[in-house]
Amino acid sequence: MQPPAVLPSSIVVPDFILRSSSYLWYYCQNAVNAIPGSSYVVDYVKRSHQQDPYRTIVEVFLIIYGIIYFLRNPRKQGVQEGPKMSTKEVDALLDEWQPEPLAQDASTVEWRTKKIPVVLNSSSGSHVDVVRNDGAERYSDVLNCASNNFLQLSCEPSVIKIAKDTIQNYGVGACGPAGFYGNQDVHNHLEYDLARFFGTENAVLYGQDFCIAASVIPAFTKRGDVIVADNKCSVSLQNALQLSRSTVYYFDHNDTEALEELLQQLQERDLKEKLPALPRKFIITEGLFHNSGDIPPLPKLVELKRKYKYRLLVDETFSLGVLGATGRGITEYFNMPRQESVDITIGSMATALGSSGGFVLGDNSMSLHQRIGSHAYTFSASLPAFTVTTASEVLRRLDEDNSIVQRLRLLSNQMHEFFSQDKELQPLIEVTSDKDSCVLHFRLTEDMRFKKFHYTEESLFEEISAMHTKYLTNKHIESYESEEKFLQQIVDYALKEYNVLISRNTFVLKHETLPVTPSLKVCCGAQMADQDLFRACDGVKTAILSVVNTTQETA
Amino acid sequence: MSSISNTRVPLVDKAEESVEDRKANEFGPLTSKQFLYEVRSRDGEPLNDPILDTPSYYVVVITYLNYLILIILGQLHDFLGMTFQKEKHQDIMEKDGLAPWFSKFESFYVRRLKLRIDDCFSRPTTGVPGRFITCIDRISHELNRYYTYPGTTTMCLNLSSYNYLGFAQSEGLCTAAALESIDKYGICAGGPRTQLGTMDLHYETEKLVARFVGKEDAMVFSQGYGSNANFFNSILDPKCLIISDELNHTSIRTGVRLSGATVKAFKHNNMEVLEKLIKDQIVSGQPKTHRPWKKILICVEGLFSMEGTMCNLPKLVELKNKYKCYLFVDEAHSIGAIGRHGRGVCDYFGISPSNVDIMMGTFTKSFGAAGGYIAADKNIIDRLRCDLTTTNYSESVPPAVLSQTCTSLRIIAGELNPGEGLERLQRIAFNSRYLRLALKRLGFIVYGIADSPVVPLLLYAPSKMPAFSRMMLQRKIAIVVVAYPATPLIESRVRFCVSSSLTKEDIDYLLRHVNEVGDKLFLKVSTGKAGGSLDGKPPRWDIDEVIRRTPADCRDDQYFAN
Repeated sequence: MQPPAVLPSSIVVPDFILRSSSYLWYYCQNAVNAIPGSSYVVDYVKRSHQQDPYRTIVEVFLIIYGIIYFLRNPRKQGVQEGPKMSTKEVDALLDEWQPEPLAQDASTVEWRTKKIPVVLNSSSGSHVDVVRNDGAERYSDVLNCASNNFLQLSCEPSVIKIAKDTIQNYGVGACGPAGFYGNQDVHNHLEYDLARFFGTENAVLYGQDFCIAASVIPAFTKRGDVIVADNKCSVSLQNALQLSRSTVYYFDHNDTEALEELLQQLQERDLKEKLPALPRKFIITEGLFHNSGDIPPLPKLVELKRKYKYRLLVDETFSLGVLGATGRGITEYFNMPRQESVDITIGSMATALGSSGGFVLGDNSMSLHQRIGSHAYTFSASLPAFTVTTASEVLRRLDEDNSIVQRLRLLSNQMHEFFSQDKELQPLIEVTSDKDSCVLHFRLTEDMRFKKFHYTEESLFEEISAMHTKYLTNKHIESYESEEKFLQQIVDYALKEYNVLISRNTFVLKHETLPVTPSLKVCCGAQMADQDLFRACDGVKTAILSVVNTTQETA
Repeated sequence: MSSISNTRVPLVDKAEESVEDRKANEFGPLTSKQFLYEVRSRDGEPLNDPILDTPSYYVVVITYLNYLILIILGQLHDFLGMTFQKEKHQDIMEKDGLAPWFSKFESFYVRRLKLRIDDCFSRPTTGVPGRFITCIDRISHELNRYYTYPGTTTMCLNLSSYNYLGFAQSEGLCTAAALESIDKYGICAGGPRTQLGTMDLHYETEKLVARFVGKEDAMVFSQGYGSNANFFNSILDPKCLIISDELNHTSIRTGVRLSGATVKAFKHNNMEVLEKLIKDQIVSGQPKTHRPWKKILICVEGLFSMEGTMCNLPKLVELKNKYKCYLFVDEAHSIGAIGRHGRGVCDYFGISPSNVDIMMGTFTKSFGAAGGYIAADKNIIDRLRCDLTTTNYSESVPPAVLSQTCTSLRIIAGELNPGEGLERLQRIAFNSRYLRLALKRLGFIVYGIADSPVVPLLLYAPSKMPAFSRMMLQRKIAIVVVAYPATPLIESRVRFCVSSSLTKEDIDYLLRHVNEVGDKLFLKVSTGKAGGSLDGKPPRWDIDEVIRRTPADCRDDQYFAN
């Protein structure tokens, strides 16, 4: 029987579709054939289809699935889909959000600002005129025991003349970074002078001493590198460690046995882990510690660094120009060659050299890389020419005649002996600095601190660390604060009664990540007269005694 | 690498010249009153979306090809060198059990690409970097591995120093003040600010700066980089958010990293992206915990030193007020150089400085001194005086630098020698506009806004950098070439830093030579959509016509697209 005529025998495909698809197929084949080597692929597909037709079906499905998957997921990885919210809800949230004030309340630190001495003449001189608290307190001809210009060479008229001549030839600013015409002939000369004076291959100048460590260490470290640092190093090094991206370990302050044990452990671990490439490893310490004024056992550190294949970085901000027979720093103090024993030396021109800026000493290839990789060098303007020529001249003077370094050492020794040997002071204060340090650091003894302020170095550190883990920025700790105020009373007493200006070692608690305790600094300058130094020592001693006694009475 | 310190730059004796010559060489006298331009304040009007000119594809392809060839050659060089010349490649190989200072991969760019053109960087100079700069000649050896110095110098027209207002001078009021302060205060400042580094001069400068920028109080620091790098950790913590322009300076990035705060970057000057980002961040809060942010700080630069673009301050202020964020503007390049009174971006846009929470800037550029400042409300500064690491641990600013700053500030503000500051401001405005429009008309691709004294001219192919730099040096013009990583990979450029100390004739001289060199190096690739064209066709004006017509035309904003 014939099927009804209404139903066609087959589904009619419009002619144009048939024709166009056959054209398409024809051109596709042609296009595929035109690709060199395509015949092999076509052959392969044909053969595989003949052998196993199911495989072709599976593969076609896979390809289709791949295309759908690719189109459906517009690569949203990484972008977190938040909860869907209506505009109204978003607006409510935006409206609700209240930021904290940009800076914390200044009233708790106001007393610190009031105590900052404002110098009215040269702050490098042995005697200065000082006002405080917006001019409410005035002191003239005060004996200066707070200046960092220890050698005081840059106050001499001949050096000042050189600085002035430089300004008359070069102007004040260098108006450009070192890479872009900012480095002048005098900069290059100073780098040469520094390298020659301190016995290294090369030196690199920086605009500010505090930034150097945080710039030079990250320039050479990356993830996976190892840094072993002294646990009393100053904030500039702490910042550097934070920026270094490396694994940081601390060893107990100047304890070489603990250090060796740590290095031993690290070495064993390295052997086990079989790293793909040798990491860079550094030991980091300071020449004269910023917070305590003592000296690290360099010979032992150098021995360890050689044994365990580390590099040694020493921050000599305070020790260059002070330590060593001729002021060449800690390596000379221990009679060691600098180039062979210390890999990176960080120095400041704002301390003993009495100028401004800082520098890094080391070998040629390290210096060369620093000039490109160290941010504070490449992205910052060069030093003003006059500070550079001043430093050059001071170095030249030191090279010619180093009696001034010896004079400074004599005064430092006398000062140290006075404070550390005094029977009356011994139960009250503890001198932490070395006898050769021209900055005398002293702090209250453990007992005194506990008795008076009911905390210890350890408990303070615990408290700071706890705050740190909670990201509390306003680290206001009452007992610490009152000890700082107490120490400030000693400074005030010495200033009011004896006309001697000393200073607290100023900290910012919230930036300190290592144990600290409040302390006082007495600096001596090489041009200070003997009787002046004794007057200062006497004054400070009486100040300590009387402040301790009065607070005991009131307590 | 060879030892650099063995070949020493010679100290150059001062050339004998008369006082007048010397003055003119440091600061060219104004040749005509026509060549002054008073900047128009925008009265709160935001910037239009910038039009970026793009070259044709072959330029881009050639640039990539250029890099490809350099990289292949460099790799080949490395391979052969490390196989056959081990002693020359000590510093990238392990030695005595110590890892190299830098790995082969990290230093590849520096050793194999930058070293080839090292003679274009760090050219030693002497004397004042004023209108002319005295470059010390050097001869390169072994592909820039070391230099020797024949002891001669070349005086070049200076378009390289950040001497925007021409205060780099060896005589005049500023220098006199600097000399005087050395007599009174000595050379160095004696210690950290909180110990003995504060002089009355510091407070005086701070008050002046605060008054100049229009904030309640300010602080000064001895280095601009350091003021940024050690600022953010005192006000921010990991529970805060920083929204930062992608092209912000390294010092800001370092500072932000030190603070531990979360950073989100937005596309350069793109305000829509910024708004969306702020909204998203306030709504979603901190990552993981989704607690609200403690504070949100928007960080931008006033004038971007590599692009010549400015932040869109009116829009930023609007967003900041709308969403209760804080705004930080780094005016390192804009303070002094931008605005009718030279008071930076706020002055330029006619916006009250009270809308910007923290204004940072440097004295290195416009003021011919050194160091930086941070200006903000009094309660913020009061707290920062005790909280910043710089004030507590770092050296203070040397007095001579402060005196230079103070005096130049007073001159700009018109308190000293009235008229001089105004002339300097109007000269830099004219010079910037003239140079920019003229370059556009000649057919170069130039980035940035009309009034910016930073004029970047795009070179693209990296090998054109040394060619341009060396050819300009032969023509006694000192310019700066910059490339990756300071710019995007293919956008190598030369940066002209315009100064008030240049005369119109100096710029004509520059233009004639840039025109010649541009023809030789095929640098005229602009399409005209970013200005310079009158009929919509790619502008390729004749140099004489440019010099004849541009001084008058450059006063009119219609010729600039941006």
